Amino acid sequence: MFGYYIALALRSLRTTPILSALMVAAIAVGVGAAMTTLTLNYMMSRNALAHKDDVLYAMQLDNWAPDRGWQSPNEMPWEINYKDAISLLHSDIPTYQVAMHRWGGPLSREDSELRPYSAEARVTSRDFFALFDVPFIYGGSWSSDADSNPVYQIVLSQQTNEKLFNGENSVGRTVNFNGAPFTVVGVTEYWQPSPKVHDLNNGNFKKSAEVFLPFGLHRSFEIYSWGNTNGWKGEVIDSYETHLGSEYVWIQYWVQLDSAQQLEDYRDYLTGFIRQQKAQGRFPRPLKFGLSRPSQWLQLNEVVEDDDYMLNWLSLAFLLVCLVNAVALLLAKFLRKASEAGVRRALGANRRAIFTQHLVESGCIGLAGGLVGIFLTTATLALMRQLQMGALDSVAAMDWLMMSAAIGLAILSSLLAGLYPAWRISRTNPSIYLKTQ
Amino acid sequence: MLELRPILSALWQSKTAALLIALQLMLTLTIVSNAALFIHNRQEKIARPTGMAEKDILAVNFSALAKNYEMPAAVDADLALIRSIPSVIEATHSHKIPLSGSGESLSLFLEPNANKGGFSASYFYVGAGVTEALGMELIAGRDFKATDVQVGDHTSRNTLNAVIVTQQFARQLYPDAHAVGKYLYTGNNNQPIKIIGIVARNLGPHLHQAMAGNTVFFPQLMVVDGSASMTYLVRSEPGQLQEVFNQLEGKLRVRDPQRIISLRTLEAYKKRSYRADNTTIEVLATVITLLATIIALGILGLTSFWVSQRRKQIGVRRALGASRRAIARYFLIENLMVAGTGIALGLAAAQLANKVLVMYFNQPALPLPLLLGCALILLVISLGAALSPALRAANISPALATRSV
Repeated sequence: MFGYYIALALRSLRTTPILSALMVAAIAVGVGAAMTTLTLNYMMSRNALAHKDDVLYAMQLDNWAPDRGWQSPNEMPWEINYKDAISLLHSDIPTYQVAMHRWGGPLSREDSELRPYSAEARVTSRDFFALFDVPFIYGGSWSSDADSNPVYQIVLSQQTNEKLFNGENSVGRTVNFNGAPFTVVGVTEYWQPSPKVHDLNNGNFKKSAEVFLPFGLHRSFEIYSWGNTNGWKGEVIDSYETHLGSEYVWIQYWVQLDSAQQLEDYRDYLTGFIRQQKAQGRFPRPLKFGLSRPSQWLQLNEVVEDDDYMLNWLSLAFLLVCLVNAVALLLAKFLRKASEAGVRRALGANRRAIFTQHLVESGCIGLAGGLVGIFLTTATLALMRQLQMGALDSVAAMDWLMMSAAIGLAILSSLLAGLYPAWRISRTNPSIYLKTQ
Repeated sequence: MLELRPILSALWQSKTAALLIALQLMLTLTIVSNAALFIHNRQEKIARPTGMAEKDILAVNFSALAKNYEMPAAVDADLALIRSIPSVIEATHSHKIPLSGSGESLSLFLEPNANKGGFSASYFYVGAGVTEALGMELIAGRDFKATDVQVGDHTSRNTLNAVIVTQQFARQLYPDAHAVGKYLYTGNNNQPIKIIGIVARNLGPHLHQAMAGNTVFFPQLMVVDGSASMTYLVRSEPGQLQEVFNQLEGKLRVRDPQRIISLRTLEAYKKRSYRADNTTIEVLATVITLLATIIALGILGLTSFWVSQRRKQIGVRRALGASRRAIARYFLIENLMVAGTGIALGLAAAQLANKVLVMYFNQPALPLPLLLGCALILLVISLGAALSPALRAANISPALATRSV
């Protein structure tokens, strides 16, 4: 019976090609608009660290001004200062802990034709790779003394290793970074979380670092962060050492706490740490620190902005208009064929059969609309990638889940749209149409 | 004259379809007016003058490969080279690039040794001739001279002694008085910094911040140990930027090959900073266009259907003496009544939706003229869509009445 309904539906659609095309177009455009914004929002709200969401924590300390908090939702700065980071790194409670910030500089290989280029770097303590689950192709992280002493070791990303060494095992080789020779100790696999949950102050969807450097290098290069540096005290910085000892915040800090006991211990540890600092006249605000899981961290940092949510609602309203449009057109179309339905009813088809037949016809329109809608979505996303000049490349793309969602949405919405017209036609009295023939 | 009663009773016969059209128009007006408001605001934001001649300005950035780079000498040589190009008006060095989204800010105080009650401003460490190099309008005081510029780094704030501020910032500091010749302090510090010039406007590095336009310039060549990187801002004669661009890259590379050089126009930085706004505008404009098209096609389809359903009645009316014009008018008035109802409802719904947007999404309030403008345009579109089926109805022959009964 279902096959017969489909054959009937196709024949009926062919008899009114323009009306059918209009309906397919309306649903396709509605689905296209809705799916474009839904895809963007879905990709933006992904959590690359979801598999470790219950053990990783982004840490914040409230060392801000006595008279005002920081302008974030929880009134704490996103980053901490250097001296606190160095003290906290000594704790043995977390399984892993990472102090890090963005940096960069010219990168080159001594005996190579390759022109030096500016590389995006991450200066970090050694647990970075273990904490964020960054796998190595070759080698591994530097030794732990590199986090407190100047050790000229470097970890390359897969792309950087491809560029400099054609993808060979480069462990033990030398590269030049910022005018100094560094020994390669490891090469990571391709790693590009999107959004960049580990580094949300430097563009949520930008490329992740091309090289990784140990945390013990600050004094030898007088490294200033390429990320944000913020202060409230107006401290006079007359040397690099005062910069390191100042209240300026510029270090991102993460910890991995595997058990509830560890979490509790670490909370106690941080409370104790802040109390101790308060005794020395620091941390003028009420005692407060933050430990946010990756999912909470993404929300706190408002990766998906108000504008995005608004576009989401807008496109759903848009889909609604398209649906109402489709309902009106379907109604017109079905009523025009009411006499056919009348004949079928007179020949013994019950209301339910008429209803199902027309609903199948709506479903066919929905399927066609969904397919065209996917095409439209892909085209719109491509246009967006172009308009955003690379900033959204990792976000403006459909995966299989979103594609099936698009078809599902189209069929569901056209069935919804077909519900009333099909019901209406199934209620018509056959005798009227038989009389006028 | 206007056949209102028959129209109403005919509409009552197909009330669901009429209601659906009205509903569509209501939703469309709600979306379109709020989207138009959104576009309007973004366009206004993008159209703000930056205070600079960004179309004629090039930002040249380089990073030297050597760890101990002789920066001051290199800057002197580079600037001399850049200024020697005929179509260059002026060039200067800067530690950050305006409009790029990357910058720094600080608090400035009216009293020495203060740490409360400061005024926030974005700052640039720049060289001599910055006003000229950025094409800013100097409205009081003077530009930086070579003798004003000190060599320093992040730690040299306590030796700064001159500053150029924007008019917007000067008015915040001294609402009633002339700011030139007054002194500012960087906080916890008693080093007086004299305001030596005021420029009309400069949006600074961050275009999206509420404080954009609070911008100050300090005369300092920023030399950071361990990171030998520098930016030049170069202004060309109007329209000559491409020419300067082409020459500069090669000349700088020849002068010192041991560095990475990148050139980009300030216009490109501006465009990149506004790309999210531009995308939103394009998306919304597409949505509006598509909605208008869909609604027009829907009305066209439904009116055609009504016309074809009533062919016989139209034939009878024509046979009874109704003119073509009367038939066309009938369908247009019918459409007007349906569309008018939808749009009237839409006026209320749009206001309501806007209230929600204002409350939860930080959007501005919807001005009435914009709403009425959108309503009028929608009305015209729906009438236009009904026009062709109405004219086709008018062409139905009276002879039809006599046939096929």
